Amino acid sequence: MASALALAASVVLAPSPAFADETCQSPYMAKITGEEEYVYVWTLGVEGVGDGSDKVVTVDARSGSPTFGQVIDVDSVGGRHEAHHGGLTDDRKHFWVSGLDSSRIFIFDIAADPANPKLVKTIDDFVEKSGGVVGPHGAYALPGRMLISGLSNSDKTGRTGMVEYTNDGEYVATHWMPTAEEPQGAANADKADGYGYDARVLPRRNVMLTSSFTGWNNYMRPLGEVVNDPQAMKAFGNTMVLWDFHARKPRQVFEVPGVPLEVRWAWGPNNNYAFTSTALTSEIWLVYEDENQEWHAKSIGTIGDPAQLPLPVDISLSSDDSTLFVDSFMDGMTRVYDVTDPHSPKLIHEKKIGSQVNMVSQSWDGERLYYTSSLLANWDKTGADNEQFLKAYTWDGKTLSPRFEIDFLAEDLGRPHLMRFGSAELYN
Amino acid sequence: MRSSSLLAGFLTAALLPAVSLAHDPAHPAPRVEIEGPADAYVYELAAPGSYNLPRIKPAAGARLLDETGKALDLSQLFGGRLTVLAFMYTRCGDACPLAALRLADLQQLAAEDAAAARQVQILSLSFDPDHDTPAVMAEYGELMRHPDIVAPRWLFLTAPGQEALEPLLAAYDQPVARKADPDGPGGPLNHLLRVFLIDAEGFVRNIYSADFLDPRLLMNDLRTLQMETP
Repeated sequence: MASALALAASVVLAPSPAFADETCQSPYMAKITGEEEYVYVWTLGVEGVGDGSDKVVTVDARSGSPTFGQVIDVDSVGGRHEAHHGGLTDDRKHFWVSGLDSSRIFIFDIAADPANPKLVKTIDDFVEKSGGVVGPHGAYALPGRMLISGLSNSDKTGRTGMVEYTNDGEYVATHWMPTAEEPQGAANADKADGYGYDARVLPRRNVMLTSSFTGWNNYMRPLGEVVNDPQAMKAFGNTMVLWDFHARKPRQVFEVPGVPLEVRWAWGPNNNYAFTSTALTSEIWLVYEDENQEWHAKSIGTIGDPAQLPLPVDISLSSDDSTLFVDSFMDGMTRVYDVTDPHSPKLIHEKKIGSQVNMVSQSWDGERLYYTSSLLANWDKTGADNEQFLKAYTWDGKTLSPRFEIDFLAEDLGRPHLMRFGSAELYN
Repeated sequence: MRSSSLLAGFLTAALLPAVSLAHDPAHPAPRVEIEGPADAYVYELAAPGSYNLPRIKPAAGARLLDETGKALDLSQLFGGRLTVLAFMYTRCGDACPLAALRLADLQQLAAEDAAAARQVQILSLSFDPDHDTPAVMAEYGELMRHPDIVAPRWLFLTAPGQEALEPLLAAYDQPVARKADPDGPGGPLNHLLRVFLIDAEGFVRNIYSADFLDPRLLMNDLRTLQMETP
């Protein structure tokens, strides 16, 4: 039986482990505390596969449902935009998804009928309104607003910013990442490279942490070309930035070599730290506040064999801050670490999910995990290794057991990427 | 005493560990001491005027009722004042009582700043008009308001009915839904706590969740807006 945390409960002030994320959602957002009912999958279109368009695919995740584990709704947005990431508004009524290539943002109503999302608005002037940010990436819920982290700019290089919108899709403000030339008052800004990727807030410490990837010139180029181009390989992010969230001002730049991607804050009320993984150097990093309220970033371990370039991608931290799931694209592995001591992760399980794997989403109770396969249209593997799937597992604390899987190519859907959970009980 | 029993109804046991109220015999209204979660507000705040508060959207108006039952237009209240507008309902056992205490603390803080006290106002607006009549709001206001005449004004407003309320909630994107079990803990309505900072020209300049309903932060934002004024 699905159950959802009432909207009101999500505003309780004191952070609690019980308010853990389902795959690391904004702390401002209402949470599903029981079993998720639907998984929304933002999917890249593939020429010759179905209608070829990017689409939101709704999967029935209700145990016992006659359509359990099946696709129950498909909403194409028309065309291919390099579907990538997105997110839910704080009231969880709308699902924002964006295209890294077209810089369009598509807003779906998931509240009116959670089993049947409807496209209600398209933002097609993101670049113009933001003053030149390109490649809308994450969509992160703030109170009454959405924070869109960009990847690029009008020159298609990696300098970028974050863009705020109202929940109804009206532009509010742009916050550019600091650079050595424009440090904006940040400490250690001579190392600032201006790249962006993820942006996540720890409200009780009034801090936001951002990470860094690369610009349009690289993420839209075939991966094989990029890695063989020394100049292109220099155009990747090597920093994270700690911000004064309330003032939206960068405080401190950390050197985190090798493309730090996803940011996951811990949830425990005294756990003032976040994890990230570095794609090119294959390391887990910890960004933490010490007893003097000073912040640090340090490498706390490697993921697989860095010499083999496993390319860590998505990560997911469990509700009690004890377990970190780390996916790596090239070897198709998920590795599970005990991070009870955040300074010393211990590998407790590993499993090959497929020939390639990218995203991992975890239910708030930690018992169910969902994996998707696609990274970028031009970076996914080819031939038989181009598996495109959603695979669902149960996790008993020791092993992952298959629950269901959907072949997104056989179903004429495309390349599945970001996942978010839905439940009708959120709106009852 | 009527007010005490009313207060007891407002503040549920689940929230009281985070908040303490003490009645000052010299004053009819409670002296508010914020403990618990407020103690977590230990981070350093950016100085007023050192950051921007972009216009988010126009603050919608609506026909409302004041504590005496007199009709007024919400938008008429914004002109020339800096407004902190909080949606709430008095039967709430979740975030509304905490928010009210934070706003009471803000009122005290603002009372210490003569310029702020003159220009700032706090509006508590119920989205439960069937229960929160003007009389109920007046009683709630009497409990929460600082008695000092130099304190900024704090008005407790309600809607004349659900029909008048719905477009207002939509305009402020304030989610409210009736619970399946109206007798359940926390009150009969589900809602997200949203508090709005509105400038003297009627534009929303910040939106606060419970996490950032820090009276010091609110004062800094109000002073930031004051510094914009020629």
